[in-house]
This record gives sequence, C-alpha cells and structure tokens, in this order.
Amino acid sequence: MPLRRLFAITSVLFFMVLAISPLKNALRPYRAIQREYARLGASRAKSQKLAEAYQARPVSIQQIWLPGLQNRVDRCTTCHLGVQDANMAGAPGVFRLHSHSFHTPKDFDRFGCTSCHGGQGLATLEEDAHGNAENAGTPMTPLPFIESGCGRCHLATQVAGAAILSRGRQLMEKAGCFACHLVKGHEGFRSEAPPLESVALKTGGEALKRWLKDPKGLDPNASMPNFHLSDADIEALTHYIFNTRPSGLLAGKVRAAGSEKPGDPVNGKKIFAEARCISCHTLEGKGNGSAPELAKVASRASQPWLLAFLRDPHAFNPRTRMPQFGFSEADTRDVVAYMVTEFKDFEAPEGMLEPVRVNQTLAEKGQKLFRTLGCTACHVAAGGESERIGPELNRIGDKRASSLDFGKRTELKHTLPAWLQAKVQEPRSLNTGLRMPSYGFTPEDTRAIVTALLAYGAEPIPAAYLHQPATRPSLVPGGAVGALFDRYRCLSCHQIGDRGGDISTAPLTAEGSKVKKDWLVDYLLLSFTIRPILTDRMPVFRMSREEATTLAQAFGTFYLDPAIPEDPFDGQPASSRDPEEGKRLYDTLGCRACHILGDKGGYYGPPLTEAGRRLKPGWTYTWLKGPQKWRADVRCPSYGLSDTDALRLTSYLQTLTQKPAAPKAGHGGAR
Amino acid sequence: MRTPVLTGLARTLLLLMVATGCRKQAPPPPAPAAEAAAAPAPPAPPAEPPLSYELRLGRQVFQHYCLICHGETGAGDGFNAFNVEPHPRDLSAPAFQKAKSDGELADTIRRGGLGVGLSPMMPPWGKTLTPDQIDQVVAYLRTLKRPDAPPAS
Repeated sequence: MPLRRLFAITSVLFFMVLAISPLKNALRPYRAIQREYARLGASRAKSQKLAEAYQARPVSIQQIWLPGLQNRVDRCTTCHLGVQDANMAGAPGVFRLHSHSFHTPKDFDRFGCTSCHGGQGLATLEEDAHGNAENAGTPMTPLPFIESGCGRCHLATQVAGAAILSRGRQLMEKAGCFACHLVKGHEGFRSEAPPLESVALKTGGEALKRWLKDPKGLDPNASMPNFHLSDADIEALTHYIFNTRPSGLLAGKVRAAGSEKPGDPVNGKKIFAEARCISCHTLEGKGNGSAPELAKVASRASQPWLLAFLRDPHAFNPRTRMPQFGFSEADTRDVVAYMVTEFKDFEAPEGMLEPVRVNQTLAEKGQKLFRTLGCTACHVAAGGESERIGPELNRIGDKRASSLDFGKRTELKHTLPAWLQAKVQEPRSLNTGLRMPSYGFTPEDTRAIVTALLAYGAEPIPAAYLHQPATRPSLVPGGAVGALFDRYRCLSCHQIGDRGGDISTAPLTAEGSKVKKDWLVDYLLLSFTIRPILTDRMPVFRMSREEATTLAQAFGTFYLDPAIPEDPFDGQPASSRDPEEGKRLYDTLGCRACHILGDKGGYYGPPLTEAGRRLKPGWTYTWLKGPQKWRADVRCPSYGLSDTDALRLTSYLQTLTQKPAAPKAGHGGAR
Repeated sequence: MRTPVLTGLARTLLLLMVATGCRKQAPPPPAPAAEAAAAPAPPAPPAEPPLSYELRLGRQVFQHYCLICHGETGAGDGFNAFNVEPHPRDLSAPAFQKAKSDGELADTIRRGGLGVGLSPMMPPWGKTLTPDQIDQVVAYLRTLKRPDAPPAS
C-alpha cells in the first residue's frame, strides 16, 4: 500500500518535471512578440494575400547561422522580426526595419547581427541577448560606438563610410598610443620624440620645467601628453635631463653656431615665407599643425640650437619628419635671426634658457622617475630600444567589465565603453597613481578613440571576412636616391605605396608615369600651388639642380605604374591624334567648370595652361578613362569616354605647353 | 455576403460612438505640461529634425561632389562658382524645386547639363555615382528648398 502511494506520487512528480520544459517554452516572451508582429504586419499589409501570410506565420525561434563566421548563431530575428521587412519601415520599437547601410539589407545572411552589434546571439530573452546586466559577457555595443563593428573586419586606418572609426584610428596613431601599448599591425611604431641627450643643448631649466608642467599648454600641436607631475618631480627630471651627456659632435655644432654673428631678420622673414615652413608647422594657429607651433619657439629653444638644428636636423633627431633644407650658411642665420626676434614669448621672464646647475642626488631621483613614468617609451636613448609600459590592446574590445577597475569613478555604469571613455578622457580620474598621462582629448575625440579600441576583438576574424587595404609595395631605393629621399623626408608628407604621411594630397606611387621629367625638375627647384584652391604647397627645399635631376630620374625609373602606357597612341589609328576634335570635346564636356584655361574656369582642379608640359600623355589618357581608379574620392567625374575620344582629348591637352608667367613662390607665406 | 457588411456597419457605429464618447470626456489633465512650465524652463533651441540615414548619405554625396559649385545651401555660390560661366543653378529656389520632378533632377544629374539641353558645365555623374546615390542626393536636394516667398500682394 505505501509502495503504491509512493509510486503514485513519484509518477505525478515525474510528469510535472517533464512538463516544465514545454511550459517554459510556451511562456517565453518572444511568443507574444511574434503574435504582435503578425497582428501589426497584417494591419500594415498592402494586400489581403500579404496580410494572410503574416497571420499564417508559425510562432517559432528564428536564427541566422554563420558557420563561416566564428560559427555564430544569431537569434535576434526571433524578436526583431521586421529588420528585413520593408513593410515595417517606421514601425515602432522592436519591429523596426533596419536602417539602410553598406551591409544592410543585402548582407543579413552573411553577417548576422552580433558581428556588428555585439550581444549574445543564442539568447532569446531580451536581458540575456542584449547583455544589459552589469558585467554581462558580451554586451551589445552602444549605438554611439557602433562603427567599432565595422572595424572588426575592416583593418585599414581609413574605412569608407565609418568616419568616427577612421578618425579614432588616426588619432591613436597621432597621439602615439602604440609607443606604450602593443597593437597588432603597429609593432614597428616609433615615436619621433627627440632623444634626451640633446635636450640640454636646446633649452634651459625654466623653459623645460614649464614644458614638463603642461606641454600642450605651451604648444597645442605637441604630441607629448600631460603627466600631471608634481613640482618636486619636475625639479628632479630637469636635473636628470641636464645631467645627460650630449654627444661631442652635437655639442660642437651648437657651440660653433653660438659664436656666429647674428643674421638679418628682414631677409630671414622672406626666406621663411618662401620655404613655406607652415606646410607642416603652425604660426599662431595658421598652418598644417603636424609639427610644432612656432609662435613662441625662441623662448623654448636657444638661438645656437635653432641654427645648428636647421642646418642638420637629422643629427639631432634621426626620427624627425623635418626635412633638411638646402639654405646657405648666411640664409640659415637670417631665418634664425627672424625667429629669435619674432617668435618668442614676450611675457616670459628673463633667463628662461639658462642651463641648470646639476644636483647629483636630484638627478639620480630623476633618472629613476624617468624610467617609472615610462618616458623611455617615446624618448629612446641613442642606440636604445623603446620600452612599452602599457598593456597590450589587441583584445581590449571584448574585455569583460567585471575585470576592470572603476576605482574612484563609482558613478560610472559598469560597462567597457564607459570605462574606456573615462580612461581615455582623464586616465587618473579612475585612480591615483596610474601611469597613463592625459592627452586632453575632446569628448568627440574620445568617442572616436573608444570606437577604435572597441574594434580590437578577442576572436580572430576568418580571412574571407577580413577587409585589408589593398597595399602596393612601397619601394624606396637605396644609394644616392635613397639618401635624397631621406634628406628631404619625402615620406613625411607624401604616400608611396602603403607608406608615408598624409600632409600632401599627392601620392607619389605612380609619379613617374604621371609627370614629365623636365617639369618635375623645375617643380622640385621651385614649387608652386598646383591647384588654385589650395593655399598649401610643397616647401622650397633649395635643392641643387643636380639633386632635382637625380630625384626626377629616380621617379621616372622606379615609380611607374604598369597600367599606364608610356605612349597611349601606339597602335591606334591616326584619327585618334586629332587635337581639333579634342578641343571640341574639351568644350562640350564642361572641363572648364573646374579647370582654368585662358581666363575663365573653375578653381577646383589644376589649371590646364601647361598640362602638356606637366603631364605625360599616358597618364592623361588613363586618368580620363576613369579618374576614380586613381583616387577613390576624386571629384573629377568619369565620363565613360571611348578610347578614341580619350586619346583625342589627350592630344589636345598635350598641345597646351605655355609656361606660367610668374611662379607664385612666395604665395601665402607668413606675413 | 450580408454578414460582413452588417458587422462592418456595426463596427463603424461602435467606432463613432466611442469617438464621440471620447470627445465628450474631459480632456486629459494637463499635468505634464504644467510641470514642465513650473520647472526652470531651459530655452528650447530651434532643433532641426535629425536627418534620416538615407538623407545623411545624400548629404555626404552632395557635400563631396556638388558643394564646390552649388554651395553648402544649394544656392549656387560654391567656391568654385565665381569664375564659371554660366553660373551654377540655385538649387534652393522654391520655383526651381517646384518645376522639376525627382525624375528630372535625377536625369540631369545622370546625364549632365548637355544631356538635357543645358550648359555643359554641369558634368554627367551617371558613370561616377550609383543610381542609389543619385536618388539619395535628389532626396537631399529636396531638403535644401528655401521657404516659399510670401505671395506678392
């Protein structure tokens, strides 16, 4: 009898246990959402048939399975049913149609949802799927940082359509994050901070102390961040820096420069403008801004040092982007005389540039500080290796919020983006004693950098999904040509292949196929603005004709593009060499809307008055066949010209060989 | 056949009754508005409605390709316009916006001035922009329309 009762109870219990799972499923919130979707869809449907299709939808879990992308299973569409449904444009809340973007609506089945948005694809409860709970595993990326999703697959610095991500990546490089933090693809990063040994030659104790207190306060273009040093630490560091031994060679150069007679500031001003220093520097905020602000530079750097540096910048800092100008001895003296009279802080007290009488105890303390603060990451001693003191950032985008120390910032939401924002904006607000310095980023800059950081995911992306920039090899020859490239620092401004800076708008990868040698020699000797709309131009380096010829020859030999023919008329019918017909095309195509020829025409494109002297016919022809192929963002429209028309237009442009009357060498200089 | 008509009628009646009933009811208490007025009212900036994603794409195209001649507001005063004869069209003029259909605008963008019998200074963009981009830029052009001038009395 008790046995039978026991059996009855256990069987009832058994059936109850069996019922739990189906019951739980039946009560899941997504079922109500799917029924609501069917109702809403039917009410918005344009036809009876469509409405019936909505009603007939079975209630079931929907998923996108991506075996090729980290085996993702995204069940987001179980609730977000309208993301691909044009009928749901403007629908409320969860049923909304996904906004149009580069990968939507066409690529849902290729990328799913979580690859861009984050979150937990397998979950079917809102709380779990969105990862809203504090310290959740992979929470959804907040919308302000959504471009980090693009960055997981798109590895180039500039990603089309993702302006915030691109800006973040650019800022990280400019701020020098990779000097302290190891990041894949940037292992070779080297800061261009000056080696310390020559600092004592350049500046004085008081000036150095002011600099250490707040570098960006003195020079808004400075890449050195603010370390929030105490006065005692600044004192110790100053003593350490003035205790370092500059090489005898450099000290000799500065000493020799100090004994020269002063130059003529009036002539110096003229040379300063002609050389166009503000192609890279700024003067009271005017200029490119990728090199130091010069307005008060003479209160930080002594006259002898400026003179010696200008004559041989690469001896003082081998990694500087500054080219070596070919000024004569007297010209350099004049430029420096101009700088010393004009570019100084007139409110600064006397004796800013007096050297420090070194106290050995303080200097030793400073030496220790120099290491612990991580200065060695950027200021590498001659022959030394940089030391990365920050943690590696390769997987930072998937770091769990529970592993982060929010320290003093108790008001922050415990999420990774909130922590990163606080860390980038004001690192030491989290805790005292942290080593990361302040960069003074604006909130927008911070958002961009956090977006870039969130793009460094933990899971490797399969090759089929990776979008790496198509790089072209960047051959830089050695020998005499390589030495000239190095001397004039072509790569500081120009791009060659996948290397080089972004100051110039003209990449040099195919320069040899583009311009004629004689024109290039003249241009290197006396540069001018090629497009009237630009005020910036290449500096005048004062190179010798011999050097210019060597460089022009090197471009014609190495920097060629096999897709550009040397003679496009080769093998073409004689009728294609018809400049008359080309002129007619020039007039009817509306080239004049952007190019000046004669006295009328737009300011946007380069004037074509000397097109035939400057451009090779092969380049003109291939450019006309499709400008976008050479620069994706170029404004010159593609006319879809036939070969014959492109050749006729080319032959007309080749007849335009008038040399410009007066090159505007001094144009736009400092006044 | 009759039943649906009847139920339909009944439903309309019911709706009408509900509607009239609602109207007779007292208006909802203006509590939130009163609260907002009581609070130190921040000066509401004349916020422009944010553009939709498609319009932002259109704006991107406009600002990259069209702005240099047609200007930021479409008034035909871009920096490239001053030395160009004939002058670029004022795209923001209400009369112009009214006269041209979306199709005509898209056609002019695609085939250029010469293609539609106007000045060749407007180049054809059909081989540079995708059809989607042209539609987006046309949609954006519509947002540039200046408010109509008051009718001359």
